[in-house]
Amino acid sequence: MREKKEKELVIYKKYHYIIIAFLSVFSMIMMYPMGWTMMTAFKTNADIRMNRTKFFPQEWSIDGFITAFEKAPIEKWFLNSVFITVVVTVAVIFTSTLIGYVFAKYEFRGKKVLFMLLLATMMIPGLVTMIPRYLMIQELHLFNTRWALIVPNLVGVFSVYLAKQFIEDIPNSLCEAAKIDGAGPLRIYWNVILPNMKPAIGAIGIFTAMREWNDYLNPLLMLNDIDKMTLPLGLVMFDGQRSVDLAATMAVATMIMLPMIVIFLIFQKQFIKGLTMSGIK
Amino acid sequence: MKNNKFVAAVMVPACIYIFIFVIFPVLYGLGISFFDYNPASSTNPFLGLENYKRMFGDATFWLSLKNTVVFGIVALILNLIVTLFLAEIISLLPSKRLKTLFRTILFIPCIAPVVGTSMIWKHGIVATDGILNAILGKFGVPPHNWYLTEGALFLIIIVYTLWADLGYNVVLFSAGVENVPKDFEDAAAIDGAGPVQRFLYIKLPLMGRTFAFVAIMTMADYFQMFTQFNIFAPTGGRHNSAMVLTNYIYRTSFSNFDMGYASTLSAGLFVVVFAVAMIQNRMMRIDWGYE
Repeated sequence: MREKKEKELVIYKKYHYIIIAFLSVFSMIMMYPMGWTMMTAFKTNADIRMNRTKFFPQEWSIDGFITAFEKAPIEKWFLNSVFITVVVTVAVIFTSTLIGYVFAKYEFRGKKVLFMLLLATMMIPGLVTMIPRYLMIQELHLFNTRWALIVPNLVGVFSVYLAKQFIEDIPNSLCEAAKIDGAGPLRIYWNVILPNMKPAIGAIGIFTAMREWNDYLNPLLMLNDIDKMTLPLGLVMFDGQRSVDLAATMAVATMIMLPMIVIFLIFQKQFIKGLTMSGIK
Repeated sequence: MKNNKFVAAVMVPACIYIFIFVIFPVLYGLGISFFDYNPASSTNPFLGLENYKRMFGDATFWLSLKNTVVFGIVALILNLIVTLFLAEIISLLPSKRLKTLFRTILFIPCIAPVVGTSMIWKHGIVATDGILNAILGKFGVPPHNWYLTEGALFLIIIVYTLWADLGYNVVLFSAGVENVPKDFEDAAAIDGAGPVQRFLYIKLPLMGRTFAFVAIMTMADYFQMFTQFNIFAPTGGRHNSAMVLTNYIYRTSFSNFDMGYASTLSAGLFVVVFAVAMIQNRMMRIDWGYE
């Protein structure tokens, strides 16, 4: 019996090496396009024309980045993206925790129906409403401003759902105790609810920020002026105008991807936890 | 707790907001679909069901519907097979560090914007002097301009989506794979089941709930893919072979400004997504858990 077990362990070890070897090769293939982009950003265009598929630059050059900064208002795109992402993320965290708190901890007439209606709206695919949303933004005179991407996105229905589920697990006795101490509903929200739902806030924040930072369709519909664009839309515009200048395009692509990848690597644990917790995509 | 004033102070503005920005656009869109609507023209005559009749007779609509469904199903199946396999072999690794390392690497393409990674594939891999032709050249295949191909470009978009989207499901499945009680596996191992058998007959059935959830979420997502189609095949590719409903709606409304008809197409997409959601709901109700 014992012998058999030991034998199995040896076989298992052999498996491990095969698996590790396979995964290493697979990971390299997965990372290749990213690596190629960052390397190409440091190539000269002559070098790229000679052989596009080569991984490392013949000679290192930052011309791509210089062209990118000279020919495109990248700092403006960057600031627009940051502004929109930060405002929407903060707003969504605030609204979803507040609405989730009311649904989870207060009794009122029609609560069940209202919540069912809210869940039903999650079934509405965003793409289906792109025309009416575009027309509404025109009517509201928000077209071609950053507010066109902020005003319609202040409440996330899925985030409300997530917050509500999480707040329900916070013991009622904590809220009751605060109430007896004379705390009003907002004080309970601030002192009891928020400090007890940090993981959920993290998940909501991360995924809202990622969605806003990476969004392409809405800026495509709502923004016209080069100066008002966000990074993803700017990249496509830039590529359309200067497709021969691949080093510069890849420099812009690098600058879009890098901040998100760095943030991901720093908060990687929370990311993965949040993802498994919510199952959102 | 009870506090009607506070509840009203939160819920009334919330409901108004959600009505204006979530529910009203659906009704508005449905309304426009009965008109010949162009925001630039002074008259937008009422057409009744004309747009709907036009849609049923529109070959491009049917083609893009077919492409949407084929893309959704093929990409979903490939994704599930590859991600389950990866999640399983990663879970077999001995150290927690290694597991996290591989999961993190696979997740990186999901973090980057689809626009950015599509652009990279467009210039680096699919371009005529890109990696794809270089690799195929080694096997004696002459270089292609992939943007002029029909099936091949569609396949490339599927492979791109697979690459860009693997990490999510590997992470979600990892949670599922690791939640299967160790005793079950050990019992099967003692009975002489190999790793493949243990995966197919023990783990897979036991993580049915996770599997259903992931499959459903992924499918709903794939029916609404837009960005990569807009980058790889902005005008739908050769003979509309890579035209999907989302891009067709976008083109009809924002290139041709035929917003009435585009709203009708949107209603069509809505029905498709809704049908998928209904099937999903059915499947979710089946109890696959092992508790």
